[in-house]
Amino acid sequence: MLSTFLSQIANGLVLGSLIALIALGYTMVYGIITLINFAHGEIFMVGAYGGLATLTYLMPTFIAQRWYFALPVVLVGGALISVLVAVAMERFAYRPLRNAPRLAPLITALGVSVALQEAVRVFYPGATAAIPFPNLFIEGTWIIPIGDGVPIRYTGILLIVVSLVLAFGLERFIERTRMGRAMRATSQDRDVARLMGVDPDRIIVLTFAIGGALAGVAGVLYGSYLNNINIDMGFQNGIFAFTAAVLGGIGNIRGAVIGGLVIGLVKALGGQYLPGGTAYDYVWIFVVLIIVLVFRPQGFFGETERVRA
Amino acid sequence: MTAVTEAPPASTPETAPPRHTGRLAGLLGALAPRARLLGIVGGVVAILGSQLPWATFVLNQGAYPELATLPFGFTGFRLHLVILGLATIVVAAVRVPAANRIVRNLGIGIVAVAVINGLYITVEGGGLGAITAADGAVAFGSVVALIGGVLAILGSAAGGVEPRPELDWNLPLWVEWLLLVVIFVLMLLVVAAALTSGGQGGVVNPYSGAVFLSFLGAAGGAFAGLNASGLLGYVATLSERHRVFSVIVLLIVALGLPLTSAGTEYWMTVASNIGVYAATAIGLNIVVGLAGLLDLGYVAFLGIGAFVAANLSGATASAVGIHLPFVLVMVISAVVAGIFGAIVGSPTLRVRGDYLAIVTLAFGEIFVRSAQNNIGGLTGGANAIPNIPAVAVGDFRFNESITIGSVQLPSGVMYYVLIVLLVAGVMLVFGNLKNSRLGRAWIAIREDEDAASAMGIRTGPIKILAFLLGATLAGLAGAFFAHKTGVVAYDSFRFLESVTLLSAVILGGMGTIPGAVLGASILFVLPEKLREFSDYRLLIFGLALVLIMRFRPQGIVADKHRRAELAEEPEDAAKEAPGPLPTRVEP
Amino acid sequence: MSEEQATSPDDKVGTATGEELPPELQAPPEEVVAVLAEDMHVATGTREPILQSSGVSMVFGGLRALNDVTFSLGEGEIIGLIGPNGAGKTTFFNCLTGLYSPTSGQVTLRGKAMPKDPARVTQAGVARTFQNIRLFPSMTAMENVLVGRHVRMKQGPLSSLLHGPRFRKSEAEAHDRAEKLLAFVGLGRFSDELARNLPYGDQRRLEIARALATDPSVLLLDEPTAGMNAQETEATRQLIFAIRDLGVSVVVIEHDTKFIFTLCDRVLVLVQGELLVEGSPDEVRGDPRVVEAYLGAPPEEIEAQIHAGATTGSGTGGSGLQEGSTG
Repeated sequence: MLSTFLSQIANGLVLGSLIALIALGYTMVYGIITLINFAHGEIFMVGAYGGLATLTYLMPTFIAQRWYFALPVVLVGGALISVLVAVAMERFAYRPLRNAPRLAPLITALGVSVALQEAVRVFYPGATAAIPFPNLFIEGTWIIPIGDGVPIRYTGILLIVVSLVLAFGLERFIERTRMGRAMRATSQDRDVARLMGVDPDRIIVLTFAIGGALAGVAGVLYGSYLNNINIDMGFQNGIFAFTAAVLGGIGNIRGAVIGGLVIGLVKALGGQYLPGGTAYDYVWIFVVLIIVLVFRPQGFFGETERVRA
Repeated sequence: MTAVTEAPPASTPETAPPRHTGRLAGLLGALAPRARLLGIVGGVVAILGSQLPWATFVLNQGAYPELATLPFGFTGFRLHLVILGLATIVVAAVRVPAANRIVRNLGIGIVAVAVINGLYITVEGGGLGAITAADGAVAFGSVVALIGGVLAILGSAAGGVEPRPELDWNLPLWVEWLLLVVIFVLMLLVVAAALTSGGQGGVVNPYSGAVFLSFLGAAGGAFAGLNASGLLGYVATLSERHRVFSVIVLLIVALGLPLTSAGTEYWMTVASNIGVYAATAIGLNIVVGLAGLLDLGYVAFLGIGAFVAANLSGATASAVGIHLPFVLVMVISAVVAGIFGAIVGSPTLRVRGDYLAIVTLAFGEIFVRSAQNNIGGLTGGANAIPNIPAVAVGDFRFNESITIGSVQLPSGVMYYVLIVLLVAGVMLVFGNLKNSRLGRAWIAIREDEDAASAMGIRTGPIKILAFLLGATLAGLAGAFFAHKTGVVAYDSFRFLESVTLLSAVILGGMGTIPGAVLGASILFVLPEKLREFSDYRLLIFGLALVLIMRFRPQGIVADKHRRAELAEEPEDAAKEAPGPLPTRVEP
Repeated sequence: MSEEQATSPDDKVGTATGEELPPELQAPPEEVVAVLAEDMHVATGTREPILQSSGVSMVFGGLRALNDVTFSLGEGEIIGLIGPNGAGKTTFFNCLTGLYSPTSGQVTLRGKAMPKDPARVTQAGVARTFQNIRLFPSMTAMENVLVGRHVRMKQGPLSSLLHGPRFRKSEAEAHDRAEKLLAFVGLGRFSDELARNLPYGDQRRLEIARALATDPSVLLLDEPTAGMNAQETEATRQLIFAIRDLGVSVVVIEHDTKFIFTLCDRVLVLVQGELLVEGSPDEVRGDPRVVEAYLGAPPEEIEAQIHAGATTGSGTGGSGLQEGSTG
């Protein structure tokens, strides 16, 4: 009993840190331009495919066969592709609409999301079905010696560690660096930031790029953990990540991480213990989403009402 | 594709005729005195192009339509070009009001036909040689026609595009009525011709997409030309003046589709599907277009209606296993969907804007997941609920064909009649609501919720009512859908379908009645016609959404009277972030 | 729109006397007023108190925006509310119209407690305009006024759906009233014009027509002449007199003290959330405390105080990108 519970906790934490990594992108973009970037989940998906492409098409077997060479290269490859797509998306889809009425960017985001998913399906060889993705880390499982032993795969540990490190780094970046200050200023008031010599366009691009990089890393790690990827992975995990971002108080870095972990745990434990089993684990996440949006839209860590007229 | 990039400059000199600004200013200024001549030459060149060969050789998939390898031909797209060209010449030569505007639009039509056919042959034939010269044969038809179109556009731009004239004549009542009848019948024939042009898409008929698109291009050009002349505006005024009469005639005309060339079982089915989505889209239009509340899980209500109907239809797979009369089933489906609509809408009491959209999306996903898991045994899960019996009146089943006298109508025709009546009813509901105290309250809420509340509008209940009524209409459509298709599966109600419905509303024009129907028609006819592109369907769809938001957010039928949530930027939004913004391209 | 027009007094010396005004700026014709007054069934004559507040206080975080404000509006009276920036005028207005519920004290309308929800306040007979115009921009002038008729129209969802004879009757009545109201404020010609296309002054007048459409017994006007030129200001004064002649009691917030002193029966001076002086225009004008309040404490200083109070209320912290944005 206990070890089932604990291993579900472990599963939840792995999924949760993945979602947290994606949620950071949501929360940053929303913080800066108050746009729910629906297509962010697809950036995550594109990152996974980008990473796989790097591995399959660009890498000599010598490197590809040694994980300590391959992993960093694939991570960079995936992140790079994601950044490119995210920046292009900002430049060509969202920027022209920056002063359009509220519905326009949201619908554009839907369009971008559909288009990205389809572009991968049509143009990536074999993407019409799920594609196998190799493990890029140490094979095997570590049994945590608690109770009967709680198994957690090394890739899962990698995922947790990378997520926490990146989130911590991001927080430091935003709090301590000049660029980070410029980002905070832009999110508070774009016009005033402009008067202070900050170029909001550059900051917004930077935000999309950072969010994209994190999503790309998440995509590669997701593939490496689950060992196969498909084009639907972006939409679902994107919604989860959005839920996490809202849960933590949108615009709040630490909140996004905690929200992600909560979502991961809800899914893992809900699938185990709530009626309906794993078939309904998604449903519980959506239920959480609705409850949070209705009763505490500012999230756990948000201070002000952010629901705008 | 070069031609397409040529077109926009034509629309830039919107103001006083002789003054030209922009990149082509010098050229247009020089051409200004020759504007009319240019239009005439453009028309002549287009006709000339139509009579040249269009393909240097017979393509791999078979001969390109209209004997494209041979000179001379007055059928198909070549006929369309001749007509457009002649019209251009006549309009440019005879000084009709707004001549330049008409010529411009006709020119765009010519360009569209030339580009579509030329591009098709190029792609299928493996290169530019296919439309220019290869293997000793020459086929410059598309290139010449393209030049003709561009000349006409240039001429109109040089002459200065006039504002659209507003026409009105005082005719005797019976003449106006007759005019309306004739025009509506013509519209029906055009629609039937559009549907049948190129035939059904598929392996045996590789060029159906090209023929259809070419027809659309030509018809679009002609339509835009008529619109520019103010004639369409006049018809709109007329039909507004005789509103009830127009509605009745339009209804009768719509019911006449089975009698035209499109009267086959296949097109009856397509039309019924369009009808289902049109009715649902109109329901969504109440929520999004009038009340301004974005619903991203709306297709769930169609699904709820369909599943309720399936369970009450007497289908063997249904858990309930009772068989009620169809009319009763429709009512129950609508009521159940409406109740769910009110539930889904209730967060509007506390949640606004983007967050509301997400809440509706979450509700939609919960519905799909639950249906997928066969919740309560009501949805059949992955097995769906198959074998739903057709609607029957006495011994007659709606999926059979009927024969009246010597005319045999295609099977499915009764479903078609039913859906036309249903859509008409839904349109009536929408129109009536829009022009009532309730409709004004919705629009007021969309425009400024706080001010609406200060005017005594109890915004909460009224917003929920929008969800409730919209969902009710979707539930009605769902009941029809279940019986028509015979199978209801959770797969038909995914997020993407919600997006498609929303796109139908936006594409057609938010807040307008014909908009939703037009949008639904386009989104469902195009995939049928463009089967050979079916792989790219969603890709194009996604990109199209982005482009529409960018260039024509108000949709095809812009709500003349009101800015639906999307059209043009509100004045105060512009103040939010001044600075170097990309210039907006005016459509 | 938000910035107040700093009109110097000499601006309007000439126009108060009989210069010829364009037709839309002239006072509403008497026959229109007579017909409307009959339609609106608003009692006239008595000076019984209709809208009262007793001991109303409003506290935001650490800031006391209103302190123990007691006042009473008589039927058919025009009351002016003046005070320096940040004195709590608009806060008081929002308490009167149910947008805020006061921290303590109560507001009564004809002796009954004022409802909490703005929609019900309107239903009860208190209508308002907004400091920064809040019309429905993409509706026509006529439709804007029709929305104002919302609470007085008997049209359920079902009759909205079916458009039966009763529906048509109520629509016709509403249109009729809306036309009269548009004529009343001088916008008869613009009934089919989109609200956002109207000139600024006309938008203000349309907002008043829309508020009048709710058949109010009390009309609250929040800076009705902000941003207007001298001529338009004079027209607004005539319009408010005409509204009073309809039997509607009026409360006006204004910065322009000259406008208030020539318009109102009684003037209330609000300073730092407290009711400082109350009396006839002449009494108020001569009161040394008023002069001191206006000259002694410049608006900047008061504003600075407010900001100090506001920031202590909400702490910062966390690592959010967006911490203090408003809703």
